[in-house]
This record gives sequence, structure tokens and C-alpha cells, in this order.
Amino acid sequence: MSYDICIVGSGAGASPVAYSLAKAGAKVLVLEKGPWLTEKEFYKDELAISLRNVYNPKLEDEQHVIEEQYQDGNGEAYWQGEATSESGWSFWNGTVVGGSSNFMSGYFHRLKPIDFRLKSTFGVIKGANVEDWPISYQDLEPYYAQVERDVGVSGKTVDHPNQEPRSTDFIYPPLAEHPISSWIDKAAKLIGYHAVPVPRAILSKPAMGRQSCEYSGYCSSYGCSSGAKGSGRAALLNHAVAGGNCTIKPQSKVYKIATNSHGKITGILYYDGQGRKQTAIAKIYVVACQAIETSRLLLASTGEKFPNGLANNNGQVGKNLVFSAGGTGSGDFNYNELSQQQVNELKQVGPFINRSLQDWYQINDEGFKGGNSKGIAKGGTIDFLFHQNPVARSSGSQWGVDENENDQLVWGEQLKQNLKKEFTTYKTLRFEVFNDWLPNDNCFVSLDDEVTDKWGDAVAKVRIGYHDHDLKVGEYLSKKAEKLLMAMGAKNVSSSVSGYPPSNLMAGGCRFGDDSKTSVLNKNCQAHEVDNLFITDGSFMPTGGSVPYTFTIYANAFRVADHIKQRLQLS
Amino acid sequence: MKFMSSFFDKNYQTPPWLTDKLFKKNLSRRKIIKGALKSAGGATVVAAALSFRVGSAELVSLPEQLSSDPWLTLDSVLHHLLPTSESGPGAKEIQATTYLFNVVHLQPTEQDEIDFIYKGVGWLNGYSQSQLQKSFVELGGQEKEKLLRGISQSKAGQNWLNTLLGYILEATLTPPVYGGNANQVGWQWLEHQGGFPLPNEGTRFYEIPNQQSGLKANKAKNTEKNIDVVNLAAHRELSKGKGKKA
Repeated sequence: MSYDICIVGSGAGASPVAYSLAKAGAKVLVLEKGPWLTEKEFYKDELAISLRNVYNPKLEDEQHVIEEQYQDGNGEAYWQGEATSESGWSFWNGTVVGGSSNFMSGYFHRLKPIDFRLKSTFGVIKGANVEDWPISYQDLEPYYAQVERDVGVSGKTVDHPNQEPRSTDFIYPPLAEHPISSWIDKAAKLIGYHAVPVPRAILSKPAMGRQSCEYSGYCSSYGCSSGAKGSGRAALLNHAVAGGNCTIKPQSKVYKIATNSHGKITGILYYDGQGRKQTAIAKIYVVACQAIETSRLLLASTGEKFPNGLANNNGQVGKNLVFSAGGTGSGDFNYNELSQQQVNELKQVGPFINRSLQDWYQINDEGFKGGNSKGIAKGGTIDFLFHQNPVARSSGSQWGVDENENDQLVWGEQLKQNLKKEFTTYKTLRFEVFNDWLPNDNCFVSLDDEVTDKWGDAVAKVRIGYHDHDLKVGEYLSKKAEKLLMAMGAKNVSSSVSGYPPSNLMAGGCRFGDDSKTSVLNKNCQAHEVDNLFITDGSFMPTGGSVPYTFTIYANAFRVADHIKQRLQLS
Repeated sequence: MKFMSSFFDKNYQTPPWLTDKLFKKNLSRRKIIKGALKSAGGATVVAAALSFRVGSAELVSLPEQLSSDPWLTLDSVLHHLLPTSESGPGAKEIQATTYLFNVVHLQPTEQDEIDFIYKGVGWLNGYSQSQLQKSFVELGGQEKEKLLRGISQSKAGQNWLNTLLGYILEATLTPPVYGGNANQVGWQWLEHQGGFPLPNEGTRFYEIPNQQSGLKANKAKNTEKNIDVVNLAAHRELSKGKGKKA
């Protein structure tokens, strides 16, 4: 059967296209590598989510090669790859229908107008490949509003210095808040910060056939059992399928996009659940399988007109991959320093903190040495959270030191005391800093020469170089966050900023732009070199902004879906 | 390991499948935990990588096995490592042996790891016989303590004990359907509120349909290499809890 649209992937970049086009009457095929799970298969099970990582491929079957920089004996830097089956460092983020959006925390901050023009606002940074976006915030704004409505974002607007323009108000009221949110508000006010509510892609009331949040206290990376979390599956694909125009084929692993001698796509080649080779044919092809895998698929899709990979005759595919820079920090609240009421408040489990700081989304501080001469630079966002996973919290309790400061195992009463102390005498408030990961020549995707996946295809090799500027900004923001924790009375306040990428926050690799020499996609996220190929995951982003990506991926995919609808003359 | 006869074999090297467990130690005091660099909520976590083997045909029950080794000794070691006392429940109340039994027989655990757990029993009893001319279960509490302290001075012994301790922590804090944390006694003891819904029989992680992983765990990030080598990217100290949410 022939389709109007064939989409590779089913996550935040894919599902808005499937939803919009199916609703408009197009016949849509979605090819997803993973299984099709539903709310019934998601439990608050630390073994499933993190300890055994069951929603992702086994690394021996499917992996990446990660290239890091080392120094040799003479102090010379060199890049060395390591297969993730060796290191255990997984870059998979949810290989199921709906993709990683099933396992997101759903912090839905919009980008701000300056994110679309970093180069023209802040100038060139040596060693970074910063480019303005070919669209503006105003082009994307209606689609942020659409995501808030159709995916379901709960929040409220408050006036603050870095509030971006909005055409609509939130439809869904904020989620219930943890008592510590008011502690944050109070301390922020005291030291002149503006703590702002965090919009979340989680329904605060039942809507669109989905239940509201059940406040189990285990949200973040857990799959949602109530349907409240706005995964692409729960919020969009279920509707698309119910409408009769969308077919999802799970366990379909696309390995190549075939082209003919004219450079025209002739079909999508994939392995079905039984490992048989299949072909899907459509009028328009959309690739959205998360940044690294999208670049990998294009690079693997060589043809007569594309000897270096599909849409890669200018060598741009895979380049300028970005992650999220920044770091994390924390402070402890010791119960013996607090009143009983405060302890009781702290111990509450279920409601969300939902507070962020964006006072330094743009840094304007002569004391900041990472900016221009006036101390002006792009800054970022600070979010606050608790961790809940108890086995993770317990690990380390079996270690102590002997009289010579050597590590030694402890057990018996000492272990019990360690555990009791760890779990019942304090609570840790954490923060995460999000700032731009500057695109640079040492952060890109290519194909590995040696390592293949279980089907025999070359895996993606990812070089993860970062720009030092990212660390300066991250440290600046972390210090600001630490100050808030101290104002709240937290002890043991610390933070860490590094150049290591968080493997769940990725974008770029097929950036969009007006110049086909320096970009893969045009402003509609259509490949410059291939008329009927669109890319709608985070790959399009030339710069990533200073917030998690999912919201912007959703909004942009809705925007591109509108363009595809026009092209197919659908309304 | 095949040719080893004791914990104190000089040629012992920590096998790769186990190396990631050592990061637990690194976590608190050493550098970089890259596996933790993922989402804060879940993956910060990087707890032990227990790898596994797909299920087992030989369904046996623990009570039948408890009267002889290896489970006789394992049960005794677990009870010694987490004793029942006024300070809280022990391995007995938590059903740590049942949990470990399920790790071996129900969870898809790698055969290498199971072999290591079992062989450790032989090495422990060999050491016990050579030191005190008794098997481990025949010893008194102080003798057991001395013996376990003794083997913990060897790398293999430390790894073996750490493996068991890791499973004790899991038994204490994972959903009861996995066999430990009986009636949520571990959560109650440590004042932890579990989430909901919890998995039940039929929905344990290895029973979820069409799993991607094919019931194979992904290892947590081993970072030994980056500590030994000067890694340009690793010039900053990271600590537990490093990672971000999306």
C-alpha cells in the first residue's frame, strides 16, 4: 500500500506530523523501531526504568561509538572512540512508540526571542559555529500555543523580567505544588531573584480522553501510567490512530532511504519484527528518530546522487550536533535543624516543585568574564527537583573507609546505620542548569568503520567535543543557584559543571538555514537537496537554546506539519 | 575465574561485567559518572548493572534449596551482612535470600555473574575450612565476621561481597513483587514512600511484552578508564547526582 506520508520514528518530532496530517485526511505510516507499549505497561519500577533499562536496546545489539579527547604522553590531544557496549554509556532514550517523550520530565519552557538570533545578538564566539535561525520566535509562537493546547501543558504566567511574549494563556492550570516551592519563592524574593513557575507537559485535569496526574511522586523518567504526561504516544498518536488515517508499525527498524539515479526517494527500507526486509513508499518522507540516529540514517542512505549520504553533498549532515550544557547541584536540609512542621512539609511526596530561575537567561554582568567586554552573554535556565529512586540513593551506603582512609566495605549494624541516616535524616534539593551547548567542529555524528548493529549496519560514531565557554556560563549559573539554596538554609551546597553531554538532551546534526552550503534543511525543515524529505526531530536546531528540547521539537514539528499540509493541499 | 580455587588468587582480575559495580564506590568520592549524565530522575542513578541471562527453565523453589549449598551458605552470609536487630529489619524480614534467588532464577541474569556468586560460596567454605576446620554456616557470629573481613581484603572477595550487598540494597528497596521488601518492610524502615502503580506478577520488568532489550541489562557506565587516563574533558569534579532531566 502507498501512503501520503511515511514517518521514521514516533517521538516528539514525529507524532505532531502524524497527528496533523492524519487529521487532515492524509494516509500516514509511522515506522518505529521499538515496541508499542501503553499505560498498562508502565509501572513505578526502578528496576525497569533505570537499573535494568528495559525500554532501550541491549547495547551489544545496538550501540554507539563515543569519541572523547585524551592527552598522550607528550601532552598532545587526540580523539579516541569507545563502543558503548564497552563503556555502558547508553545514548538510547526510549525505544518504544512515542520515543523518549514517554520518559521525559516534561519541563516545557519556550525558547525566547534571543534564542533565534544568538549570532546577531551576542556576536561571533571563536571556535563555535553559531548561526541565527532562519525563522523568528514569532514564527514559532502559535505552535507553542498549539502544543500547550493539544499536547496539554499545565502552567501559569507570571510577570518576570525574562517572560517571552505569549499570544494565549495556559488552558490547563498549574499542577499541585510541593511545599518547598514556597520556600524557594520566599528565599528568591529575599535575595532579589524571580522564581517562576515551570510549565509541565502533564495534565492537571482530565482532558482529551486522558486522565489527570495521579501524583505518585515518581514522574520524571518513569513512563506515565495515567496518561497525564504528554508523550507523543498518549497525546497525539492515539488520536491519529483512532481517526483511521494513521498506521503505526512497531518493531520496524529503518536502515536506509533509497534513491534513484535522479536523486529521488524511491522508498524507505526497513527490517520488520521478524527481521525481513521491507519497503515503504509514500509521497513525502519524514525522518525523526532523535538527532544522532537521524544523522546516522541519512549518512547510511547513500545513492548515485548522494555518494556521501542522503542530502549530504555539502558535507553538513551530522555536523553541529549539540547537547545541553550546564550541570547540576544540590543542597541538603537536615531535619534536626528544622521544625517538625518544616520536616513534615519536606517529606511530602507527590506534588511538583515546578520552580525555575531565568534571571540570567541573558547575562549582563561586568563581573562575568565569559561574555564580551561588557559582560554580556547568553545565559540559561535553572530548574529545581527532588530525586526519588531509592536503590540509587542507597548505593554507596555499603562503603566506608578504614583507619588508613582506604575504601572498605561495611555491613552489619554499620550498614544499617548508614542506610537509616541516608534516608531519614535529611532531604536533598537539587537543581539543574541548562545553557547553550555551542555548536563546534568537534561535536558531530559520523558512521563507525568497525562497529555494526545486530542487523550488520554501521553504528553512529559521535564525537562529543564542547566549547569552554559553555562551562563558564554553566558555572556562573550554578553559583547563582547555590546562592538560592544557601538562602533557603540548605547545607552541604555544591554543584558540578562539566563538558560531558547529558545523553538524553540532543539536537542538531541537520541544522536548518537559508544557505545550502552551511545547512542541511531549509526553513521549512525540508532537505535542500531532496524535495520530498523533511526532518522534524531536534536535528534542525542550529543552536539549542537554554531549556530542554522537547517543547520546541513538538512546536516545530507542528509548524512543519502545517507546511506539508499546504503542500499536499490539505486543510 | 575458571581456574581459581580461592578468593586470594593473585591472578584474579575484576571481570568487565562486574567492573561497573565498582562505580558505586566511585560515585560518592571519585570523579565522573558518565552514565549518570542522563536524566536526573531516572538515570542519575546508574545503579548496579546487573546483567542477565534469559529466564530459566529449571524452576526450583527456594525452600527445597535452602538445606544445601550454595543457598545454605548464601542465606547465612546475607543474614550476617544485614542482621535482624533493634535497629531495623534484617535480611530475614526483607527476604533478601528470596530476592537473590529470584535474581538467579527469574530475572534474566548473566550466567557469568551467577557463576561468580556460586563459586564464591565454594571459596568461602574452602577458606573457612582452612582457617577453622568448619564450614561457614557452622561458625558463630564473631567467627563469621572475622572470616568475611578476611576475604574482603582480597579483590575477588570484595567483589563477591559487594555483589551480595548490592542485591541486599535492591531487596530492601525494590517493589515487593521481586521477592524482597516483603510487605514493604524496607520502605517502611527507611521511611520511603513507594510509587504507584507498582508492578505485579505478570508485569515485572522481564514480563513487559516486546521488550527492546531482549531482557538484557545495559551496563552502567564504568569510568575507571577516565580516572586513569588524563581526559581533557574530565578536569572537573563531578559527584553523585550529576545528570539532567529533559
